[in-house]
Amino acid sequence: MAEIADKRYTTPLAKWSRLLEIFIPGYMFGKAWGIANEHTVDLYRVIFPSFLINIAEYMKTLVDISSPSLARFYATSAGALVGFGGIFILGLVMHFVLGDRKYIDSLRFTSITLIPLAVMHGTLTQVTNTIFESLGGGETIEMLTKAAVDSPRSQINMFCVFYMLALWMMAKRTGVSGKRRWFVLLTGVGFLVAYFAMGLGITTMEAAEILPKMMAAQGQH
Amino acid sequence: MMIAKDTFVKINKWALIVAIFAYLIGVFSPLKYLQPGLLFVFFAGFLCLLNKDYLAPKPRAAAHLWMMPVVVTIFTAVSPLTGGNGNPLLFLVTLLCGLIPCIMLVTGSSEVKMPKRPRLKIIVVRTIVQSSVFVIWASVTSYAFIKGTRPDLLFWAAFHVSTVSIFPVFFGRVLCSWVCPNATLQDGLLKNMTYKRPIKLHKAIEAQSSSCAMNISGKADARAPLFPATLLLAWFPVFFAETIFDLTQATWWPMVFIYGLMFFSILMPWRKLCTYFCFLSSYRGINCHNSLWRIRYNRSQCKQCKVCSAEKVCPFFIDIRNQDNEMPGTCCLCFSCMEACPFEGVITFKRNPAEKARLTLEAKTGIIEAKPEETKAA
Repeated sequence: MAEIADKRYTTPLAKWSRLLEIFIPGYMFGKAWGIANEHTVDLYRVIFPSFLINIAEYMKTLVDISSPSLARFYATSAGALVGFGGIFILGLVMHFVLGDRKYIDSLRFTSITLIPLAVMHGTLTQVTNTIFESLGGGETIEMLTKAAVDSPRSQINMFCVFYMLALWMMAKRTGVSGKRRWFVLLTGVGFLVAYFAMGLGITTMEAAEILPKMMAAQGQH
Repeated sequence: MMIAKDTFVKINKWALIVAIFAYLIGVFSPLKYLQPGLLFVFFAGFLCLLNKDYLAPKPRAAAHLWMMPVVVTIFTAVSPLTGGNGNPLLFLVTLLCGLIPCIMLVTGSSEVKMPKRPRLKIIVVRTIVQSSVFVIWASVTSYAFIKGTRPDLLFWAAFHVSTVSIFPVFFGRVLCSWVCPNATLQDGLLKNMTYKRPIKLHKAIEAQSSSCAMNISGKADARAPLFPATLLLAWFPVFFAETIFDLTQATWWPMVFIYGLMFFSILMPWRKLCTYFCFLSSYRGINCHNSLWRIRYNRSQCKQCKVCSAEKVCPFFIDIRNQDNEMPGTCCLCFSCMEACPFEGVITFKRNPAEKARLTLEAKTGIIEAKPEETKAA
């Protein structure tokens, strides 16, 4: 039976699938950390954990690129590298929790289940850009602060639930036993707690502090 | 005039093709004028072709649908709101697009027999939604190009957020059969065209549709590739390029992609583009691998008659008989398999009691009953 099951998934492109299943979600997960520009970087620092943005920003200072497209390519790659680092570490923890597969497959499991959070990063980037574009739009600072806090909060809550669902369903799908599945879920909760503790999300206080500064800076331009 | 099924398809098909050309000329040439009647030609044409088995035996019922574009075209020509602004040639083409099928169908009779099984209500709803969304998409897109503004961004924003982030978690790839304009074009028009497709896919690419875990329900091997590699690759360059070249605000960017997808759909066999290369389908597919609600396949009831064979019925070429007890994550909830199945209770909305009992027994004993395909292979 096991042989039959293996044959079902044997395809000439299977190796590529396995490789891309780590690479593409990993890239989408991390690229948001490197995409900030000089106008939005402070906002990114309060929405995402500041040290992750700082690492990506430091990597961006290592190479001086004049072409804007190449610079953006390098910036997203810097963010993606930080993302891969995070996935490799979380993958290692997940590998011990899953305990039934090779590290590369634990890494695929980690990377695929992080897709909801990768989508969340994408939507948070959009929110950040929208807030930045609204700064000079005549809206009051109270309205902007409310938008800056409420929108990311609802996005984060929704995608965290989707992440938990993805972990549970994916573990069930790949035959992780009932007890271990709870540990997988706990690992996910632990990761989210750590991510929040590092500074994911923006508080009203942070928004009230950063937005007037950005507004003033934009006024000077 | 006696209208056979082929004739019925030809009438609707050619009216649609002419309407598409008139639409493209009106929107993309310096004319910059769209006859509203054309949008209703799309609606009537797609609805007739999507329900051809059920409307071909009743040509007069179909003729009623074709009266809509005729009435709208005449109304817009004589209405003081729009009167005199349109291009006379486009008016004439639009009028003929609606009038010719209407006259042919209303004066015709048919000996085509109705299918034995009544059309599933859910499929009727689906085809109406599909045709209506195509009309909405065509109208907002034409407005964007004629007026030079971007109301279509609202369409794409709603389409994108709902299809990518929210719907896939609950209903899988449902938007790939209910909403996508390219899917409607393929299901309605391209499926009914018999020209030789210039692009033939390599066997390795086609093999993915039956050998990735996303296409097979039930427990998957931990080493199993989950997604087709080509779909993952289709997803990446689009969003990569969008970020690198800062194209989120570019007017032409989403248009190039949807028109590009439509163009490549013409070159490939039915739905192959959706299954292996569409970046939107990929994005949804990737987010739907754990979708919560699925169509149930009650394997213990299946008679293995192969009527539901993947190449003819399923838009994503899912081998239904290879499934465990439900459709896999890649299912787009078009319900075509449910309609194709000649037996009651095999493909259903809910799992039936016998299947529940089998699953409970398997969970208790740990002995999993082999699937018919596996038994054959062993």
